[in-house]
Amino acid sequence: MMKQFETIDISGDAGIRAFGRDLPELFANAAAGMYSLVTDLSGVAETGRIDVSVHSETLEGLLVAWLNELIFRFDAYGFVGKKIAIGDLTDIGVSATLSGEEFDPAKHEQKLLVKAATYHRLSIHKKDDHWEAEVVFDI
Amino acid sequence: MKQDVLPRIRDLVEVLYREVPSGVGSKGKIRLGPEDEKKILLKGARWAVENGYGNASDLRHTESSGSIDGADPSLISSKAYERGRAQQGTLGSGNHFLEIQYIDEIYDEQAAGVLGLYEGQVTVMIHTGSRGFGHQVCTDFLEVMERAVKKYHITLYDRELACAPFQSPEARDYLGAMRAAANYAWANRQCIMHWTREAFMKELHASPGELGMDLIYDVAHNIAKVEEHTVDGQKRKLVVHRKGATRAFPPGHPELPDAYRELGQPVLIPGDMGRASYLLLGTQKAMDETFGSTCHGAGRVMSRHQAIRRAKGRAIWREMADKGIIVRSAGRETLAEEMSEAYKDISNVVEVVHKAGISKKVARLRPMGVVKG
Repeated sequence: MMKQFETIDISGDAGIRAFGRDLPELFANAAAGMYSLVTDLSGVAETGRIDVSVHSETLEGLLVAWLNELIFRFDAYGFVGKKIAIGDLTDIGVSATLSGEEFDPAKHEQKLLVKAATYHRLSIHKKDDHWEAEVVFDI
Repeated sequence: MKQDVLPRIRDLVEVLYREVPSGVGSKGKIRLGPEDEKKILLKGARWAVENGYGNASDLRHTESSGSIDGADPSLISSKAYERGRAQQGTLGSGNHFLEIQYIDEIYDEQAAGVLGLYEGQVTVMIHTGSRGFGHQVCTDFLEVMERAVKKYHITLYDRELACAPFQSPEARDYLGAMRAAANYAWANRQCIMHWTREAFMKELHASPGELGMDLIYDVAHNIAKVEEHTVDGQKRKLVVHRKGATRAFPPGHPELPDAYRELGQPVLIPGDMGRASYLLLGTQKAMDETFGSTCHGAGRVMSRHQAIRRAKGRAIWREMADKGIIVRSAGRETLAEEMSEAYKDISNVVEVVHKAGISKKVARLRPMGVVKG
């Protein structure tokens, strides 16, 4: 089975490298990678649901906007997604449904406070038969 | 004095950890309606003082009196409002901290006298900012600037350095929003300082007068400001963005409060949680050579993951306790990420800026108790 994501070492910040057989899987795995920086996902239940839809002018911009939307939903409302179902994805828009729950410091592990996905070292490209993306987060 | 606080340090750290919300997913104790949040964006620390968090005299020792002009709440997105609503009065996570320290060495007796500092004195340092609110403003405006870069045909070497000409509507809007975030941050630190005083009063059974916990100085560690500087012999108005840098204005600068006008601006340089922090003063040389700026902190030598790997199997809190430093942290991995050896030695960094003359050492502060997010 293909690895979903791995963390990459960056002094002062935190980053992930996500993989996917296609773009929807890449976007879902990048989101899972982002959440894994925030908490241990194995302790998160799938009791809540949110729908997300974002747009951008480029594919790179879309990946950043997608992750920043999820960071916003977490930072403002505490939502942590565990199951990520991408509904529709084009070069300029993505819509998805996420199942997860509201973060509870008493129950969930507190890891990094991810503040934003950035354009720093951002890359998204097809490598042989799969897609790969690198994203650095402000923390 | 150190000996008064030392016997109570464990309880004090525990109370501060409880009273000042910190860490991932923590919510503030202050409940804000949309109108309150707008007032914070316009008034900054002044809002906090008007609502009972601290004293009017605190504002005199805060950069820009804790409230910068030109903030425009109408330029703030609903997302930033939503993110900021529950985070006023919270410490955050990562390298943000609240530290109880004592002065173990004075380098400039005269300046220390004017600042009311002496050896063995207990101080508190609070390092935090505009929290998720400021980050949402940044995220929102990066999109605006992305478009501006194309519109004004600017070549970028890093997409994160997105920008726009100062006179453009994009830049004007950004500054209005950024100033709102700066005010949010000043209010945040003011509230946290207030709860810190309350914790000391409660734990040491002392009145505010007995404690004498007066604000030395509050200075932004990431802000863009319009300032006057001399370039090639000519006075010019410039936008100075200090990120990873701290303002260090010289004696006589009109921006300084009366109490520090002759002295120069107090500069706070935090080190890692196990070694030291410093209080310095701004100099004319900083004005001449570095646009009135000095360093911001120690800087990392290890990435967070390297630090976590290095700390495997160790109890960092116990290593710190053995050195006489009580630490409390919300995140399990935070202490590993923030351990001393992950950072450069602040004393070496401060020695460089001192010898370069862009700020001068007044006092060294040693940690006794640390609250981390």
